[in-house]
Amino acid sequence: MNNIVLIILILLAGGVLSFLLNQIKPLLSGVTAFVATVAAAVLFFTGTGTADNFDFVLGGMHLSMGINGYSWIFGALILGFSSLVLLYSISYMKGRDRLGYFYLNFMLSIMAMMGIIFSRDFISLFIFWEIMTWSSFLIVVYQGLSEGRVGIKYMIFSAVGGYSMLLAIVFMKAQMGTVLISDLVSHFSGFAIQQQTMVGILLLITFGVKAAVMPLHVWAPRAYSDSPMSYTSVFSGLLSKMGIFGMGIVLISVFANSSTFGTNTFYISNVLAWLGAITGVMATFYAVIQTDAKKLLAYSSIGQLGYIVMGLAVGTKLSVMAALFLAVVHTIFKGTLFLVVGAVERQTGTTDMTKLGALIRKMPWTFLAALISIIALAGIPPLAGFVGKWMFYESLIVSDHYFLVIMAFLSSTAAFLYCYRFLFGIFLGQEEKEFENVKEAPATMVIPMVLMAALLFVFGVFPGLLFDPIAKGMEVLGMGTVDWSMTVLSNGWGDHVDTMSIISAIGTIFILAFIYLALWNRKRTRYVTTKDIHTSGEIPTENENLTYAVDFYKPFERAIEPVMKRTMDFYYNHLGEGLESFFNFLRRFYTGNGQTYALYVIVFLVILILFSKQIFL
Amino acid sequence: MDPILYNKIISVGVYGSAIGLILIGLYAVLVKKHLTKIVIGLSIIDAGVHLLFIAVGFIKGGTAPIFSEKGIELVNQGTAMVDPVPQALVLTAIVIGFGVTAVALSLVIRLYRHHHTARIDHIKSLKW
Amino acid sequence: MVISPVHYIALPLLAAFLMPLLAKVNRELVRIIPGVVLTYLLFVSVVLMQRVTETGQPIIETLAGWQAPWGINLVFSQFTGFLVSLMVFMATLIWIFSYRFKKVDNEPALKYYILFMMLVTGSVGVVLTGDIFNMFVFMEITAIASYSLTSFYRDRDGAEAGFKYLLIGSLASTFMLLAILLLYTQVGTLNMAMIAERMHTVPVGMKVTILILFLTGLGIEAEMFPLNGWAPDAYSQAPSPVGATFAALVVKAGVYSLIRVIFTLFDIQGAYQYLIIMGIITLIIAEFAAMKQTNLKRMLAYSSIGQMGFVLIAFGIGTKEAVFGALFLMFNHAIIKSLLFMSGSFFVYNSTSKDIKGLSGIGKKFPYMGFLFSIGAFAIVGLPPFSGFWSKLYILIAAADESMLALVAIILLVSIVEIVYYFRVVAKLYFGKPTDKEVVHKPTFGGYFSMTVLAVVILLVGFYPDIITGFIHRAADTLLDKGAYISNVLSVGH
Repeated sequence: MNNIVLIILILLAGGVLSFLLNQIKPLLSGVTAFVATVAAAVLFFTGTGTADNFDFVLGGMHLSMGINGYSWIFGALILGFSSLVLLYSISYMKGRDRLGYFYLNFMLSIMAMMGIIFSRDFISLFIFWEIMTWSSFLIVVYQGLSEGRVGIKYMIFSAVGGYSMLLAIVFMKAQMGTVLISDLVSHFSGFAIQQQTMVGILLLITFGVKAAVMPLHVWAPRAYSDSPMSYTSVFSGLLSKMGIFGMGIVLISVFANSSTFGTNTFYISNVLAWLGAITGVMATFYAVIQTDAKKLLAYSSIGQLGYIVMGLAVGTKLSVMAALFLAVVHTIFKGTLFLVVGAVERQTGTTDMTKLGALIRKMPWTFLAALISIIALAGIPPLAGFVGKWMFYESLIVSDHYFLVIMAFLSSTAAFLYCYRFLFGIFLGQEEKEFENVKEAPATMVIPMVLMAALLFVFGVFPGLLFDPIAKGMEVLGMGTVDWSMTVLSNGWGDHVDTMSIISAIGTIFILAFIYLALWNRKRTRYVTTKDIHTSGEIPTENENLTYAVDFYKPFERAIEPVMKRTMDFYYNHLGEGLESFFNFLRRFYTGNGQTYALYVIVFLVILILFSKQIFL
Repeated sequence: MDPILYNKIISVGVYGSAIGLILIGLYAVLVKKHLTKIVIGLSIIDAGVHLLFIAVGFIKGGTAPIFSEKGIELVNQGTAMVDPVPQALVLTAIVIGFGVTAVALSLVIRLYRHHHTARIDHIKSLKW
Repeated sequence: MVISPVHYIALPLLAAFLMPLLAKVNRELVRIIPGVVLTYLLFVSVVLMQRVTETGQPIIETLAGWQAPWGINLVFSQFTGFLVSLMVFMATLIWIFSYRFKKVDNEPALKYYILFMMLVTGSVGVVLTGDIFNMFVFMEITAIASYSLTSFYRDRDGAEAGFKYLLIGSLASTFMLLAILLLYTQVGTLNMAMIAERMHTVPVGMKVTILILFLTGLGIEAEMFPLNGWAPDAYSQAPSPVGATFAALVVKAGVYSLIRVIFTLFDIQGAYQYLIIMGIITLIIAEFAAMKQTNLKRMLAYSSIGQMGFVLIAFGIGTKEAVFGALFLMFNHAIIKSLLFMSGSFFVYNSTSKDIKGLSGIGKKFPYMGFLFSIGAFAIVGLPPFSGFWSKLYILIAAADESMLALVAIILLVSIVEIVYYFRVVAKLYFGKPTDKEVVHKPTFGGYFSMTVLAVVILLVGFYPDIITGFIHRAADTLLDKGAYISNVLSVGH
């Protein structure tokens, strides 16, 4: 049987099996899901090549599935990452009820994502897209927080996204007669400019919703933080990347054939680049003021996706490469961070950063994973985040997008703030009494986190490992050949940055510092508890805040207050309420009086007869 | 009397009264608040429609549409038969109308028992 | 016994009238006989559908030896056959569902099944008959059975709903009767094929007037806005299997007759636009009204009306693909809405109130029921990979082919509203805080069985629509081929 179909079937069967096995023993449920995903991953890495394809006719429509270099990047990411997450999930989800339900939907999401990247036509893309949507909806509402409101909001936005794709699909079908993605690429130049705009915008709305681009992002923070953390890492790490996956196709392959105004790229791309930049800045600001670690990460995720969208929208070789590189790396570090928060939540029962503190001694491995991921997130060498950011800034500068560079700098500087807060709030700072007996998470949870942290290090030193598939993918998208090298980054001005020399420099400094602290300076240090606060002779009053964790960034919050006043959420809620009261008004038509209904009938008949000429002839 | 005029008067009378019945019935259905009166209105509408049916099938001086010896003889003499189809239809329609009225009245009784009123504008516990 | 379409009408009617007598012999017979009859009719459907598919010709049965256009004839074509088979299939499942249905206890069981069999007779007869007055008669049989079934529980609201239904339904029958009368004066026949053949001789003004009367009368049965005031009440107050029956049989018969009149009898192009416009209005108002409903069954009722609006839109587009999509949607609607009514009824039954709020967390007690309801909800809003998706897709594609993109956009926007209210219920079912109420009424085995069958059909068609599309394609072709209908019916016996 065809390997592509086999992968989908394995994942589906894994989901159904883990649902059924949950009735026997809940532990089996998670194990089955893990095993099925690993099996699919093995099959994917060993058994599929670009030659595999699967054409079929369903419901009278010619559909096609296959794999190419571009989708391979995402496929590898999905299966590799979700295998690790499912391993983590076995311990994380232990003891919760309705595990079968959880794993069924988890596996359906993974299957749907694989389906999306395999799809070579829009109908199967849409089918898998919607499966992904509803399965993730069912997980968002799984914990029963907030009475399903969050889930509904997520579903509304997803429906807007899904249906705009459907509208684009039926339009394409009417215009071109087929729904193959390759046909859209080749026919796109034949559309009128309005049609190009319409199809472009519709598809970008679809993918923008999943990638949480402003102003379609409002569902994301709560939906991310309401799901169980093992799923959130997939949600933010992979599901959002499906938006990026689609945007890549639309922005690069499809728009390459768009009508151009002079030498500019298609104007939608420019708009999108700006939306990405605004998303990056705003989400970063929001992330800084969060006190809940989950929400901090959720907003941070949205911000990072903003960068990636920006990179894709700018559309030069370098920027696309940077965006895709960031996309992969973001999945790894943000996924790890969500897993870290999950581990913390499981061991302590809270994710509130004002309550947590000093877990570094209790959960050292978790801290290590968090530290490395945070460094990668902040874009500091020698970890992978640095490489991505380097290329990203360079691409913006080279292509003369100076304002975008300013926005990007602004948000990545602000990102340092929340990075620090995350580390400090959870792992450093003052020790709280109630967390005295906290233990390290079980090994099955630690191993995936540490493994991914290690990957970040590897990609930081040998970025070429990622450049290779990305370059192949970009060729598929139609960007021509892309030069890359295993360890050397070079830029347009002839500068070369060798990651090897960075790593050796940083490594040397690190070892020297370590030697200094550990050996030479050892005798001069003494151990103090974190509660040992000196107040320089002044006696603190009751209302003076002595824990740093509360009001961490008060001045900053005050500074950005005017920007935060009116959120998009506010407008959407008003729109929703307005519509609901309008609906409520409309249904008063059904007065409940049978005689009124009879009157409607007669009046309707009379109107029809009076205007019969206009209506029927 | 002039037969054409006579015909006209008859047909105007029959058609007019049929349409009049329908309108009266509609009036009762749309304006009267009492459930029983509404049911009566429905019956009156039915009666009007039935009358209309009969009127359509009628031919002046026509004979009964029966294939008896006398009937065939009359037809052979050039006398037209009255169209039998509307009459058959009316019979069916009357039976149906009877059934509907019976159900309606039983519902009226039940409504009255539950609501202690027979005013249709007071019975609206199901709305919106 | 030779299998013929007459059995569809004769057997249920016979059963309905024999049941009071047989009840004297053995009470259990009352429950069993409808099942035997329906199962046999299912078998008849299979045989006849096979025959019709093989020959490609409709089976035309003349009654009492009178040839068309004088006698009444039954036409079992690929179109009517498809609808009739669907109806019989659904009726069988509803019978299984309501077998030993707790609330239909011994004494009313007899009345329930008599009315149910009459309803089956009526709605199947509407589809099969080739005579316009006969269609009216079957319509009335259906209607009288429906009025009584709506108020079956003898409670306050049931009677109210029944009376409203009766009031509006009587007006519908009056208009239809008037239309038939006027038509008869113009063309002098009641046979639909003959009427269609002679329609061009009718003066335009008269033709439009007759059409309007038909549209008003039949629009009431097809739940078209603003003629559908009775529908939410009737759906929500009738016993749940009856709610399913309305969705699966009665409305289908109403829509069928409307479509037959517009597509076969008349040749007025404006009627198609009329269908689209009224369909849109019906869809919008119904879905909006459903949004704020607190009563689950009433919400399902409005959703049902909305779906009928969608069907009308699709028929109004009028191309082959659109008619195909509309028939597919009718099929889906029958199956999905029945599943929703059936599973929803158990939630309502086991909660303290009919309110959606009272359903909070009830899916935890009935995980399987919750699962079935969710499948229904996902399918009806048109999410893949459930069957509802395909019909929606085909209709939208057909609309886009006619470059009605605005229409597509409207439908999709309204679908978002639909998603909101259905998903609200699904989220509430599973994830609300459960109310402390003991499990009282478990579904019967029959209940589980029929709901499972429906869910399996939904998934099967969702994953592989081609098992059904062949039938529907042929049905759509048959409906659109007016000339063949006329010549087939009139050539019998010549």
